[in-house]
Amino acid sequence: MPERPQIVFAGTNGGALTQFEDYAAVGGFAPLRKARSMAPDDVIAELESSGLRGRGGAFFPTGRKWAFVPKPDQLAKPHYLVVNADESEPGTFKDREIMLRVPFRFLEGCLIAAHAISSQHVFVYIRGEYEQEFEVLRESLEAMRKADLLGGVTVVIHRGAGAYICGEETALLESLEGKRGQPRTKPPFPAIAGLYAAPTAVNNVESITTVTSVLELGATEYAKLGVENSTGTRVFSLSGDVVNPGNYELPHGITLRELIYDVGGGVPGGRELKAIIPGGSSTSILTGADIDTPLDFTSLVQAGSSIGSAGVIVIDERCCMVQLGIRVSQFYEHESCGKCTPCRVGTRWLTQILQKIEGGRASQPDLDLLLSVCDRIMGKCLCPLGDSDAIAVLSYVDRFRDEYQAHIDLGRCPFDGESSLEGILAPSAMHESPAHGIARV
Amino acid sequence: MSELVAVTIDDRPVEVPKGTGLVEAAQAAGVEIPVFCYEPRLGPPVGACRMCLIEIEGMPKLQAGCTLTATDGMVIHTAATSAKAAEGQEATLEFILVNHPLDCPVCDKGGECPLQDLAFRYGPGNTRMTLPKLTVDKPIPVSPLIALDRERCILCYRCTRFSEDVAEDGQLIARNRGARTEIATFEDEAYRSPFSGNVIELCPVGALTSTLYRFAARPWDIQNVPTICTACPVGCNVSATIREGKVKRILSRNHPEIDRGWLCDKGRFSYPHLRAEDRITTPLRRGKKGLEEITWDDALDSAEEMLRNAGGAIVTALSGSETTEIAYALGRLLRGGHGAHSAVMPEATSTALEAFHLPLSAIGDAEIIVVVGDDPVVERAPIVDLWIKEARRHGAEIVVCSPAGDLATEPGGAAARCQELATPRDALGKKLRAAERAVLIWSGPGGGGGARLAELAHELGLEEKAGSGAFHLPATANALGAAAAWAASADADEANPEPIELLIVSGDEAAADPSVRALAEEAKRVIVLTMFHELAAGWADLILPSTAALERDGTTMNLEGRVQRLRRAVPPPCPDELAWIAKLAARFDVELASEAPGVFEELAGHLFRDLALDDLGLHAPLPARQTYETPAPSSSLPAASPAASLETEDGALRLQRFRALFSGPAVERVAQLDFQRPDAEVELATAEAERRGITSGDAVFVRSNGTSVELRARVNRKLIEGVARIADEHASDLHAVVEVVKA
Repeated sequence: MPERPQIVFAGTNGGALTQFEDYAAVGGFAPLRKARSMAPDDVIAELESSGLRGRGGAFFPTGRKWAFVPKPDQLAKPHYLVVNADESEPGTFKDREIMLRVPFRFLEGCLIAAHAISSQHVFVYIRGEYEQEFEVLRESLEAMRKADLLGGVTVVIHRGAGAYICGEETALLESLEGKRGQPRTKPPFPAIAGLYAAPTAVNNVESITTVTSVLELGATEYAKLGVENSTGTRVFSLSGDVVNPGNYELPHGITLRELIYDVGGGVPGGRELKAIIPGGSSTSILTGADIDTPLDFTSLVQAGSSIGSAGVIVIDERCCMVQLGIRVSQFYEHESCGKCTPCRVGTRWLTQILQKIEGGRASQPDLDLLLSVCDRIMGKCLCPLGDSDAIAVLSYVDRFRDEYQAHIDLGRCPFDGESSLEGILAPSAMHESPAHGIARV
Repeated sequence: MSELVAVTIDDRPVEVPKGTGLVEAAQAAGVEIPVFCYEPRLGPPVGACRMCLIEIEGMPKLQAGCTLTATDGMVIHTAATSAKAAEGQEATLEFILVNHPLDCPVCDKGGECPLQDLAFRYGPGNTRMTLPKLTVDKPIPVSPLIALDRERCILCYRCTRFSEDVAEDGQLIARNRGARTEIATFEDEAYRSPFSGNVIELCPVGALTSTLYRFAARPWDIQNVPTICTACPVGCNVSATIREGKVKRILSRNHPEIDRGWLCDKGRFSYPHLRAEDRITTPLRRGKKGLEEITWDDALDSAEEMLRNAGGAIVTALSGSETTEIAYALGRLLRGGHGAHSAVMPEATSTALEAFHLPLSAIGDAEIIVVVGDDPVVERAPIVDLWIKEARRHGAEIVVCSPAGDLATEPGGAAARCQELATPRDALGKKLRAAERAVLIWSGPGGGGGARLAELAHELGLEEKAGSGAFHLPATANALGAAAAWAASADADEANPEPIELLIVSGDEAAADPSVRALAEEAKRVIVLTMFHELAAGWADLILPSTAALERDGTTMNLEGRVQRLRRAVPPPCPDELAWIAKLAARFDVELASEAPGVFEELAGHLFRDLALDDLGLHAPLPARQTYETPAPSSSLPAASPAASLETEDGALRLQRFRALFSGPAVERVAQLDFQRPDAEVELATAEAERRGITSGDAVFVRSNGTSVELRARVNRKLIEGVARIADEHASDLHAVVEVVKA
């Protein structure tokens, strides 16, 4: 078994620290006091030297992100900290467990971050479906308020209404402002003109929670964990064809084999491992041959994928890669916000072409068209959503070309009805729009 | 001069001011960056359509050119010099066309469609879409004026941005998401906004079309005639689309200082009144069997006879909708030929505001705007309302002093409010004095045609500040021009003939005016110049058919004091006024040109400092400011203004009427505009409603002296107490004091 240092979940012993006293007893709130005794810039410097990078998927250095926020004397506007708790990436379910089990560590991190960017206003934008998590946060916040720990900072927990796109930071800000959740064009970046056109840092739940730990351990201690370029631990969400799915906090750099077999108990029924999606549905797929790839930023880039949100999806031999493509593409088609053309149109088109291939009606040019449409989406959209679909589908064809070719050559799906996607990404039930008509004129 | 930056676009170097958008920078270099969603008048770019993808050296990915500004040393490649950019633009067009129906042969936009043009220039030559296209029900009536074809829609969000960020009505929205995203109104209600028609012109495809123009013409068999809208005193620049001698639609013709390319729906959609069923094209004379059609020769004989018999005891009622030339010609005929100097003007006018001239666009740049007067700006001069909204978006302070305004002001209390603002210690007055760019607007009756406002503006020292000024919003399109022309047509004082031998009613507004009707009761004979049978049939002895503004050549003077050129878009179905006035005048030895340029030339010597018609061009200039001259003192002191002095009994309310934008003879003759007309409702203050146990939506009776009208109540929490506010067309014969009870 790999070593399992607990940083985010420290002190929980597998349980939850939802009582104020229990959290205080394991050293809670000391990091906040320590941060507040430091100058904001020193907190930022500490974060930069810890090497902590964003856990939402983009892996951007947290300290550097904060450094981009203008100082109060540089821009006389309110400064905002916005926490992205709209966790919706298929295969990713870590933030909810963090909020449920260590809500105080998370909220403490919010206050530390607010101090670092000189903000008096924190907004936690939480996925609407996370009702229990919302209640836990609310109670925890209340306890901290009673303990007089907020230090004049207003913390608002805002519930989303069910849109994947609102996990994209600028769409999240639009939604928070009460507008339709659609991404903004950048620049300006949120650090300069974010929420209400004021300087804003947007961070992920796990990143913010880890901030508390970095302050507690000190940057040097923290940076000893993990590997170069990917310090510290990561909460991996393990799902799919695996014996023990769940969230596991492990240091960066452990291998897929260690995660899937040693921790996760391997593929059920002794079936063969076919593929792994290592960082949530938006990342390129890996094959069973990549099983010894370490889970860190650099290694996964070298393997042609990325660490993304660390949602590791295990896929066994029963899965048809065209069906997987349809499921993923349907998800992005369903969640495309509709603002920019390539994503709005392209994601639907990809699904249509994939369905044609799966249905055995496709000929060779259709496969070329599939790849060409992916190409025409990639790098041309307003935000990463459309690219995510294209990246995923391209990687399925790239790594499992023979299987796609077989669909065309056979004129049917080689798995017939036997393929299983059970447990591999939730199907996106397409909500058909009711027939709308403007009747009242 | 702002700092210049050097950029290179498709190997062409160009220098542009820092901050210039790349689309404009490219234009400066003579290069096109194609766009659909980009429209600077709608606010910041959104980068939605991705048509403008370009390659910028040093940036790995293609960039949305419309969202970026020029920085020094930037090297840009469009499709012309970058295969990557060309591929990106072709990709965008391919995606746009994937679900587009390609029904160009039956699409109104076909032939003048940006999507067609750009598909031709940058698009793929063939389609790779062999799968079912997304189809939906169509067309959907967004309102009786606008049809929406959601299959053609490319979701550029121009229309929703206009609704949200320009008209600020917030009615057009996008709903659903992804490929199922569609434009809609909230709860599918009709899009009811004074500015709704602008979305048709903004639409870069045939998704939003005018129900009045659908299938009416093709771009290659129409002509567009540049002229001026006369639906209100703003004088928006328009093009009238003509096919086979008929007006088929009205388009904006962006005058950046006046309208910025926006039109209101009254100006855009009321043209079908030209072919109204009760339009008169032949003169009518009252005989034994009532009104009978007669020839023009007979009509002129009759008119001559009536004029000779009247012996100078003639009163002329003007509409303010005449061209300046027609008003002048009438003046020369009647005043010069008959000494008939007495006229009823549609409203007071004043030249005092000439010291405070500003282009309307300056309102958008103002720091502070104070509006006084009883009427909402949008009802009198809708485009001015858009400029005020723009100013507010830029952070200007807007203070409306009216019965339902920010600073509650009694009906008729505008002049008193101006006096307050002029006192040195008034807080708002102080702000106005301190501001570099302060704008005053009088929106309502009274005020001596702007004279009272000019006094205030002078007191505040606005004539010294280039960005400051004052506007009076007249009730009619050419009140200023008509009054000035009438005044210039002879040099003699007005006399009030008693009895009135002959009343001459010029135009539909005068014909519809109850006070003019009252004069007709006194007059022995009445001649009415009107377009519509209904307006004059009951009381005129001689009816002479009028032409519409779209059928006229001539000039008007808008509320800025700008002289603008009307051009005849279509031939009138009856002789032009100037032609027969000249003929009639000749019978009295008055020499008059029979066409507008000739009349204008004579007039210009009196009125326009020898301005030449050609100087007006397609986009007329604003005359320079004049030195301030103290206007004649107010004839009715504000304290004694009729509305304010009315003693009301317990429980009685003062009736405040207002003339809605969507009212008048033209609007009433276009069925598609009915939904825009004011609701049959009475507005009450919250307290007044509570006192009567009334809530919004209740049926109520509004009564005065035996007249009773049933209306719906609407509680307006901004309205002051003691007032019942009703649109003119629903106030019928109600008197100045009314009671309101629940039905």
